[in-house]
Amino acid sequence: MLAYSLKKLVQLFITTLGVVTLVFFTLRLIPGDAASAMAGDSLSGEALERLREQMGLTKPYLVQYLTYLKGLASLDFGETITTGLSVFGLMKSALPITLIIAISTIVFTVLVSIPLGTLAAFMAHKGHKGLDNAITGTAMVLDLMPGFWTGLVFLLFFSLKLRWFPASGDVNIADPASFLQRIALPVLVLSVTQIATMARITRTAVLEVLGEDYIRTARSLGWSELRVLFRHALKNAALPIVTVVGLSFGSLLNGTVIVEFIFNIPGIGSLLVNGINSRDYQMVQNLIIFYALIFVSINFITDLVYRKLDPRVKF
Amino acid sequence: MTYAKPIADTVLDVRDLHTQFFTETGVVKAVNGVSFTLGRGERMAIVGESGSGKSAMAMSLISLLAHPGKLVSGEVWLDGQDLAAMSEKELNGIRGSRVGTIFQDPMSSLDPVMKVSDQMVPPIERHLKLGAKAARDLAIGWLDKVGIPDAARRIDAYPFEMSGGMRQRVMIAMALSCNPRLVIADEPTTALDVTIQAQIVELLRRLTAETGTAMLFITHDLGLVSRFAQKVAVMYAGRIVEIGPTATVFRRPKHPYTQSLLRTIPRAGETEKRERLLQIPGFPPDMKVPPQGCAFRERCPGAHDLCAVETPQQTVRGPDHNAACFLPNGLDDVAEPAAEAPAERPVPVTTDWRALPRQDVLEINNLSKHFVGETLLPWVKPPTVRAVNGVSLRVRRGETLGIVGESGCGKSTIARMLLGLDEPTGGEIFIQGTGQMVFQDPYSSFNPKMKVFDIIAEPLVVQRVGTKDERARRVRALIEQVGLEQSYLDRFPNQLSGGQRQRVAVARALALNPSVVVADEPTSALDVSVRAQIINLLCDLKADLGVSFVFISHDLSTVRYVSDWIAVMYLGEVVEYGPAEEVFADPAHPYTRALLDAVPVLDPEAEAEREIRVISGELPSPLNLPKGCAFASRCPKVTDLCRQEKPVLVQRRERRTEACHHAG
Repeated sequence: MLAYSLKKLVQLFITTLGVVTLVFFTLRLIPGDAASAMAGDSLSGEALERLREQMGLTKPYLVQYLTYLKGLASLDFGETITTGLSVFGLMKSALPITLIIAISTIVFTVLVSIPLGTLAAFMAHKGHKGLDNAITGTAMVLDLMPGFWTGLVFLLFFSLKLRWFPASGDVNIADPASFLQRIALPVLVLSVTQIATMARITRTAVLEVLGEDYIRTARSLGWSELRVLFRHALKNAALPIVTVVGLSFGSLLNGTVIVEFIFNIPGIGSLLVNGINSRDYQMVQNLIIFYALIFVSINFITDLVYRKLDPRVKF
Repeated sequence: MTYAKPIADTVLDVRDLHTQFFTETGVVKAVNGVSFTLGRGERMAIVGESGSGKSAMAMSLISLLAHPGKLVSGEVWLDGQDLAAMSEKELNGIRGSRVGTIFQDPMSSLDPVMKVSDQMVPPIERHLKLGAKAARDLAIGWLDKVGIPDAARRIDAYPFEMSGGMRQRVMIAMALSCNPRLVIADEPTTALDVTIQAQIVELLRRLTAETGTAMLFITHDLGLVSRFAQKVAVMYAGRIVEIGPTATVFRRPKHPYTQSLLRTIPRAGETEKRERLLQIPGFPPDMKVPPQGCAFRERCPGAHDLCAVETPQQTVRGPDHNAACFLPNGLDDVAEPAAEAPAERPVPVTTDWRALPRQDVLEINNLSKHFVGETLLPWVKPPTVRAVNGVSLRVRRGETLGIVGESGCGKSTIARMLLGLDEPTGGEIFIQGTGQMVFQDPYSSFNPKMKVFDIIAEPLVVQRVGTKDERARRVRALIEQVGLEQSYLDRFPNQLSGGQRQRVAVARALALNPSVVVADEPTSALDVSVRAQIINLLCDLKADLGVSFVFISHDLSTVRYVSDWIAVMYLGEVVEYGPAEEVFADPAHPYTRALLDAVPVLDPEAEAEREIRVISGELPSPLNLPKGCAFASRCPKVTDLCRQEKPVLVQRRERRTEACHHAG
């Protein structure tokens, strides 16, 4: 356990350093810089050059890189280049919104997709093809729709036509009722694709387990179909499902960026989009590193859960 | 149908059972009218080839058939209740309580992510209406009874922390824990080593005798039947073709199928072993289109006109002894036993190998293989499995060396090293010519997308032997040599039966004219009737071509039949070596003796008289070998000397060597 955690921590550190380095240099490969983006058309020539010098953009890349690493090591995320606000402060206000959206999506997805997938698997196992085909077919179609498209369709239908959910307006966590109303639609949009994927994976995993010998053993002990399904089949099928839940967190983070943009929600995703548009290196760098950290940590947690679920996997 | 009148003692009364599988390609009529009764404490064996419907029949009794299987009609009376007419909910009250079930593969029959206690205790709570503590205590009691050491602690182990033998004990404990009236055991020992098999059979026999539980025992091992069952039912094509007391059926079988089956098996005690084994020609019928008349007709030397028209019904042949055949005495009524004919050799394609000097074609000197594990922390010594530990063997031209031993003794590792699939850790291997391999599972050792022609030609293509035409000629010669027609060359592996596939595997192994063929359990995946064909084939090839064989198997009677020399292995070492017949007739090492004792013989009466000294315990872990004799922990003759000093292979008699302080 100790050796395993140590090994994982070292890996985590190396991965993060790699991301930091990669992000730092790729951002500087993109034509245009923060100074010109900030100045827009108002400054030119010498004035722009002075602004660059002020912002520290004229120093050699390596010096900038080392300065940046030093800042990171002392947990100083710096200020945004364009607005001079504290990056840490911006992230602190945006993070809870994104996290609530992401976690609600996962909870909702798991609650809907796992029973649905299990049901489809059970029907397929018993030879009742109809319901299985219906669930699997619908899932397949939904899975193929890109997130930004479902986002727009839902916005049109639920917000503009039915007026069930507001399409814009303040997002304030302090006011739970309006906050929930505001994030309901984004969560729904994100869940649709997630549910479709997860239900199909659950179905495949459970169907495979239902053919195993120990399922027959459980039946031979007099357990009902329901108990066999949930106590034995689902528990064994949970291993691949957990892996997929962990992996899908990546695509979910992707999705929040798009959805926050479409629904105009001031989360981490919006910060990122704005940061990119204004070539705000400091902002974008930190956000990408933050995303990378979340992703790596989720993988680590998935790994731990997997080991917890399967006693055969040793540390 | 004649029904035995249910007597007071009757536990199970099955009447005219029909089970069918409604597959997409047609209805498979797996069970076609099976009836029998089973008394209290009675042990009945159901035997038959794969596809005979024996498992489908047994699972039908408690409606445990997976989709698309369905119990179509029939009655299953257990203590005055018809299980076949019960609802799923009622059946769930019977399964696990009044009917216990033991399945074939202990490695896959227990839930891998649940502790033994979590799988075993809740059914006891439910069926016996006990509290958690009482149920747990009862479970521990049963685990103790089936021979699990330290049961109170081991009950909280996961299945993967136990050996196959231990898991099967857990299965048995689970099946018996709610005092069932009937236990259904579907090939309960097939996946186990002979020594463990003997222990399990002994255990089942003792426990069912103690509790008076009736037992239905499905197996294809006729030796086991003679050791274990009082009554035997032989199934063919979904029907019971012969049923009766085991001793009577084995001594005076009346149905041609039973008679043929009993003759296909190499008998352990027979001395005139060079006689070819009888083989049953043909295949069991396709149960999607059951033949009219007697299903065994096409493979039966005694078949006559009536057999094609009418299905013979069971008639009484003796006390409690029924058979379904028009001939009163089966093949005994056929004047010239025509059944022997197919066993005659095909025209031999001999080479003049006997003119060559009788030299060693394979020489192994002090061979060893250690598998070193991995550790994350550099200061921890990695675990090392010493799979093979200094083995020296020789095989001469045209001779067969049999290697026997329990799983984990290193016999397959030796095979892999002989073919260069594993690199030896130490020692040398010399092969005159080339070595080829025949694997155990004929189903997974071929590329399913390749035709038989390409499968056999593959080694020739890889080694760039001859032109395309020459290769085609060679492939045609090879397929005939293994007894298949040339038309098979255009087929795909899935169009062949298990026996035919194994013939193709042999043909492929022979393609490059190897001097040695290593056969790792080549017959274990095959039915008895097919097994005889493959054994005959290997013996013919040895005689005709002078090919040497290394024959690895846990089936001792087969090894005895095919081998000239025997090496008995235990924990990576050879403990006894000598001429096959001498070693089997007069084993010197206690382990060899124990192995032979564990193998049941075909004669029920001899079995009954035989004093079986089942060796206790299991193979110790090869991770930390004991200092003295590796067998000391299980040996009946063990002394302090054995624990202190490791015995070496010593020659005490001509051609015989053994590694034991107490031999001779």
